[in-house]
Amino acid sequence: MRIIVGIKWVPNTQAVRFDPETGTLIRRGVPSIVNPHDLPAIELALRLRDSAGGEVIAISMAPPPAVKGLELALGMGVDLAILVTDRVYAGADTLATSYVLSHTIRKIEREYGSVDLVIFGQETIDSSTAHIPAQVASWLEWPYIYYVREARILDNKVVRVVRELEEYIEEYELETPAVLGVAMRSLKPRHVSLSNKIRARFEKKLIIWSNNDLKLDTRCVGLKGSPTIVAKTIDMPEVPRRKEVYKPRDARDAARWIISRMLEDEKLRELLQRTLWGVKS
Amino acid sequence: MRVLIAMVRDRFDIVIVGAGPAGCTAAYLLAKAGFSVLLVDRGRGAGSKLLWGGKAYAQPLRDIWPELDREAPIHRWVSRDRFSFVWGDRVLTLEYKLGRKVAFTVYLPELVSWMARKAESVGATFIDEVVIDEIIVRDGVVYGVRSGNDIIRANVVVDAEGINRMLLEKLGLASKPNPYSLSLGVKEVLSLDSKLIEERFNLDKGEGLAWLVAGDITKGIPGGGFIYTMRDSISIGLVLSIGHAADMAEKGLLKEHVSSLVESFRLHPYFRVYWREADIIEYGGRMAIEGGLSYMPKKLYTNGLLVVGDAAGLLVNTGYTIRGVDTAVTSARLAAETIVEAHNKGGFTEDNLRAYEEKIKRSYIYKELVEHRGIEDVFRDQFFFTKFPALATRIGAKLFESDYEEPSMLRALLDSAREEDISILRIIYKLGRVARKL
Ligand SMILES: Cc1cc2nc3c(=O)[nH]c(=O)nc-3n(C[C@H](O)[C@H](O)[C@H](O)COP(=O)(O)OP(=O)(O)OC[C@H]3O[C@@H](n4cnc5c(N)ncnc54)[C@H](O)[C@@H]3O)c2cc1C
Repeated sequence: MRIIVGIKWVPNTQAVRFDPETGTLIRRGVPSIVNPHDLPAIELALRLRDSAGGEVIAISMAPPPAVKGLELALGMGVDLAILVTDRVYAGADTLATSYVLSHTIRKIEREYGSVDLVIFGQETIDSSTAHIPAQVASWLEWPYIYYVREARILDNKVVRVVRELEEYIEEYELETPAVLGVAMRSLKPRHVSLSNKIRARFEKKLIIWSNNDLKLDTRCVGLKGSPTIVAKTIDMPEVPRRKEVYKPRDARDAARWIISRMLEDEKLRELLQRTLWGVKS
Repeated sequence: MRVLIAMVRDRFDIVIVGAGPAGCTAAYLLAKAGFSVLLVDRGRGAGSKLLWGGKAYAQPLRDIWPELDREAPIHRWVSRDRFSFVWGDRVLTLEYKLGRKVAFTVYLPELVSWMARKAESVGATFIDEVVIDEIIVRDGVVYGVRSGNDIIRANVVVDAEGINRMLLEKLGLASKPNPYSLSLGVKEVLSLDSKLIEERFNLDKGEGLAWLVAGDITKGIPGGGFIYTMRDSISIGLVLSIGHAADMAEKGLLKEHVSSLVESFRLHPYFRVYWREADIIEYGGRMAIEGGLSYMPKKLYTNGLLVVGDAAGLLVNTGYTIRGVDTAVTSARLAAETIVEAHNKGGFTEDNLRAYEEKIKRSYIYKELVEHRGIEDVFRDQFFFTKFPALATRIGAKLFESDYEEPSMLRALLDSAREEDISILRIIYKLGRVARKL
């Protein structure tokens, strides 16, 4: 079994502050982290390896500081980590990113042998598109299942996958190679271990590939390979917290009270109009 | 193709807990001496939790890295030291111009990362973002460290965990600090063009200023303020005694939050002109210990263990400033020397490691600590933090703010003392005590 898990190095959005004067996010000094929704994906990959044998390879396309994220994956127990980094990859949208990642997977197959599963987190906290796993699956022309909560290897070529939807639970058996998107918070990730980190360091388990290794057409990667255009961004005004206690008679009364309180506040009213009703003020 | 027979790395000659200045120095010297060294820190990168820009003394660092002046991430060489008494908007300032490169301003995470890179360059293994949960002792001898379920064996563990001595407390070597032995450092970093810094503080290119402030900027809490010029920012902040602040808050004497104390300092009319138009780019707070000697563990060594840096209480806190980088580095150097000697003597027994404590007692660090012993009492004395700055600035007002006559120095002193309701004898007595302790 060779399992690849994709991780993204993202600014910790919980620590990002909003500058009301310039209307931009203050990212300076904000530590980056591994996208939290990728942790259950790493965990699933490790569990599958632990039960079926084989190896897990973590990959990430990111600028060099993301080695810290891959070190975390190595600390959790992945067997190899590959950072794909190159200036020409900068400014990529999801299409260009998935293009690079799918070629990374192809190269892993050439160098290390065939890949059975590629596992991603459901989405990222900094962009929430959920495109990457689906796009990688299309580039590779492999089947893709998302909202996965559990997976089990039946025999070498078949994996049974449980996905939980709002009203029902589905079970699939699919042939590998396949791509899985793991549901948020579905599995509790294991802790980083000092021994794993030491071993990774001594066995040089973190490797870096650039476009010299992947040799991709520079028109298909980075900003040049990215057709997405951000047409407009709307900043959500920051509303200071206020604590109020209201004892409602029933749910209807509570809802009415909350809405009426929100409508009294100019900023909140605007937020409501934009988000709930999509009305321009 | 998973490696089945993994090369197991669960044993090192030396494991060092904490990659602050002390841990990195020990790692550098011991790896250079040929030991296998593992350096572990819970933060991301070395010194990442030391969120301050401050002043560090150069010579103790040059003793280890002669290349310091050339290579280290030094911001500015301190060429001027200033001291101000503040009372309301009246200020009395003294300035000293230094003649040589004694100390530099630095952003500590940068300096400590540099030290960690030095350690790695001579073969130490540095692992970050991992917590050590326990120093394991078996049959009275240190066996190694535990992190989660992992045990890493070591012949010697160097405890460089800093002020929060979770591990030493678990071993029973240190007790929980009481609030009177702790102070809180709060600081802000204000970004300002380097040319403007040089113009406003009257500095030549690359020169820096270290400025200490006493007076009512702390609203009567024992403590003081600091200002350091960095390369293209200014680091300002307060050091406050936690125990006394809590007492005052309880008695209703302190209504403000610490952050608003720093804010009033920043907005003080005398100081704010220096950082006009500067942006606040960072703020933070951190604990520090007050009195070194009283914080020192009973023993700095056991079979297979040495304690260095802040964890050993080896830091000098004068009340307004905290000085612990050079002392941490020096203690680590003495620990490394002791370990090499113990190795040559045949083992890391308590007997062979005892020399470390003797070395510390003979070093300048200990002399500093002894000299500053009791300084806590002096500085804790409300007199110093309230009466004295008030008196000094009142004298200043008498001397310089009179419209017609110019009173003599003595007249100004006597009148001010009477107005502040302090006896001259008491002033002389208190000053005498301060002078002896400084
Ligand atoms: C606000 C403030 C301002 C200061 N200004 C100055 C100044 O201007 N000049 C000066 O010389 N000194 C100054 N100091 C003092 C100086 O920062 C310290 O004395 C010095 O950092 C001590 O070094 P150390 O290596 O002993 O400990 P630390 O620097 O505290 O390092 C300890 C390290 O151990 C790690 N650690 C702790 N426990 C564990 C564990 N269980 N597992 C893994 N890692 C662990 C921590 O993450 C930390 O990185 C200041 C201190 C403060 C708080």
